[in-house]
Amino acid sequence: MRRILVVEDSGAMRALIGTALEGLEEKLEIDEAESGFAALRMLPRYAYDLIVTDINMPDINGLELLSFVKRDPRYRSTPLLIVSSEGSERDREKGLALGADAYLVKPFGTEALQRLVLDMLAAAERGRS
Amino acid sequence: MAGKGRKSARDKAQLEFVSEAEELLERMRDDLSALAEAHAQGREAQPATVNQLFRSAHTLKGSAGMFGFAQLSELAHHLEDVLDRLRMGRATLGRPGLALLDESVSLAATALEKLGRGAGDETLSDAISDLVGRIAAFDATPQPETGPALSSLELPAGLLRALTEYEEARLRESLARGRGLHLIEVELELSAFEETLGELSRAILEVGELISTLPSPGAASDSRIRFLLLAASELSASELANRLELDVSAVRPARGQGAPPGRAPAAAGAMAPSETKSVEGEAATLKSLSETVRVDIKKLDELMNLVGELARERAALRALGVRLAEERATAGLARELDKIQRGLERKVQELQAGVLDVRMVPLRQVFDKLTRVTRRLKLDLGKDVRLELRGAETELDKLIVEQLVDPLMHLVRNAFDHAIESAEERDRAGKPREGLIRIEATQRGHDVALLVRDDGRGIDPDQVRASAAERGLIAEDAQLSRRECFDLLFLPGFSTRSNVTETSGRGVGLDVVRSNLSALGGLVVMDSTLGRGTQVTLTLPITLAIVQALLVGVLDQSFAIPLGGVRETLLVAPSDLQRSAGRELLNLRGEALPVLRLAHEFGLPLPAHDQKQYAVVLGMGDARVALLVDRLEGQQDAVIKPVQGPLRAVRGVAGATELGSQHAVLVLDVSALVEDGGYRREGPA
Repeated sequence: MRRILVVEDSGAMRALIGTALEGLEEKLEIDEAESGFAALRMLPRYAYDLIVTDINMPDINGLELLSFVKRDPRYRSTPLLIVSSEGSERDREKGLALGADAYLVKPFGTEALQRLVLDMLAAAERGRS
Repeated sequence: MAGKGRKSARDKAQLEFVSEAEELLERMRDDLSALAEAHAQGREAQPATVNQLFRSAHTLKGSAGMFGFAQLSELAHHLEDVLDRLRMGRATLGRPGLALLDESVSLAATALEKLGRGAGDETLSDAISDLVGRIAAFDATPQPETGPALSSLELPAGLLRALTEYEEARLRESLARGRGLHLIEVELELSAFEETLGELSRAILEVGELISTLPSPGAASDSRIRFLLLAASELSASELANRLELDVSAVRPARGQGAPPGRAPAAAGAMAPSETKSVEGEAATLKSLSETVRVDIKKLDELMNLVGELARERAALRALGVRLAEERATAGLARELDKIQRGLERKVQELQAGVLDVRMVPLRQVFDKLTRVTRRLKLDLGKDVRLELRGAETELDKLIVEQLVDPLMHLVRNAFDHAIESAEERDRAGKPREGLIRIEATQRGHDVALLVRDDGRGIDPDQVRASAAERGLIAEDAQLSRRECFDLLFLPGFSTRSNVTETSGRGVGLDVVRSNLSALGGLVVMDSTLGRGTQVTLTLPITLAIVQALLVGVLDQSFAIPLGGVRETLLVAPSDLQRSAGRELLNLRGEALPVLRLAHEFGLPLPAHDQKQYAVVLGMGDARVALLVDRLEGQQDAVIKPVQGPLRAVRGVAGATELGSQHAVLVLDVSALVEDGGYRREGPA
């Protein structure tokens, strides 16, 4: 079963994203991290197929997490999706420059998220084979 | 997964959104108060506070948008805009701006409350668009964004690229202030890095600012993680390393910080008080905002202590009057003095009541918390329970209100978890499917009673008795009244149910509620009817006047002495005491102090003459006496309560206080004792 890590400090948002991902035909294992720090602890535990992260979080923000993921050989190839409220254009540009694979702006519809996740998983699959 | 299942999951997420948003708004309120306080005191706001405010508004905007609450999202969006400029140092905000933010947060809370009750957020659209207009029109004093180009800094590229716009702004700000930049490298255990980073960031905050925390690859093993911290501080790298208790090699200066640019530093959070330096101007804005002032509760404690001292001085005057009345020549004067003294007493009482009144806050704060917890419990336990709250306006001492949260929370959780049956069980018992927990507060004289009542399964007193006997807490054949049976439930570790659930915690039960209550000078009583429900009554004094007290003992009695009146304590042998002119004296480093024996003062049998005793040296002004006691029993915070009945007139007693174990001890009136010691002719035999 493919495994996804959702990093988001808002419980309501985690629940919403989780529900959207559970709605997919393919059954996915979904882990939730409520902060960047929690994500750092969870990353070495499983080989994730996708990371979904918010930017604005306490302790470390999404960009700092992203920078770590994309510089660490263990996680570098894991696709990463930023899900963040519209806001700073610069933060969005920075995210993509740091190696984020996609960027989704809140508010978004369930289908948009589902489609994007499926595309990213499929692209990663192609990349491996 | 069926569409229906998803819908209910969404409903659940929405409930979660409402309670999360409530927490966000509450935090925003706290943060705004912190800003207002900083502003009032002419301090700069903590950048972290301003950033947290921004983050709260940002999260609220995002989540509200996701759940389709466009109005609330819009309001949060405008708040976020203003707060963003503020945290970026691109705007300053005075009191009117703060008031506007405050009003926005309140309106958002109202909108949210409607959402929580299932109404849409459209009903408030007029109020929201009005406020949005005012926020947009509000001139947050924009400031040009200038500052050094960050690319000229010699920072690791990875670090610079991962800085958010806000962190960049903080970096510029630090440079503008001429602070040095330092890179700190640490490698930590993955299982415990948060504590260490927390300590580091607190320590850095004392001498500067932590700008970025960047996790970095390359740790020695999978169970470790490296971090690169960017900090700004006026300390040198080695001083900083020293301060953080790190190896010197772990901290290195980031080079290229150049000369600070010409512009005046934009205050963090831009609350620079310098612009409103004029005293008149400050007073005017203060008044225009609101008529309220925030006061540290410690200051009120100090005032209360002063009132207490005044009361003691008054008592000394009265004692003087009594002595004057004994002489025919001064009897007239004594009557006049008595009149003045009575007037003074009234004023002191009014003053005391006034100070107490300032400390009073309504219970609403606690009730709001309970509402949120209940909402969460509903989600977690899937039980349908209604929480009814009455008497939210009832006022209590702020300290008491704060201490009430835990016990009340505990009782509500207990009721939720254990008392209220499942909907099916309630159906069978002929009860409405929805359970009810009602909390009712009423003031009764100087006490407040809080009734926590549920309509759950109730408790059988016989079962409680049997259970207690089984545990050996009472004798098998103990005859207990109904009330005594329920009282058993408050014994440590007692629980009628063996299973422990997440909601009620593990066994930390009613004994904690009782000890919390008795620490507040309160009482807790339970009554229950099997099948009908349980009622817990908490009775509390409406205020506390807390003093630090020294506990002393004579024979089997304990007394409390306010620590403010204690100069020192020492062990004395009978040979240290002398008698002179019928008075017993203690030679303390060459000075002869009058001696009072506590046992004698309260008509207790005196100890054997050869026994060693402790002398508590009491002082008031320059006057001192040595009070002899059998034991020193330690110090503790004592809540002084007035004594009722015949003891009230006993000289030397300031009141009574309750120890944790629920037995009351008398609090000694130091001023009366010192005064008495000074002129007493007759020592004990």
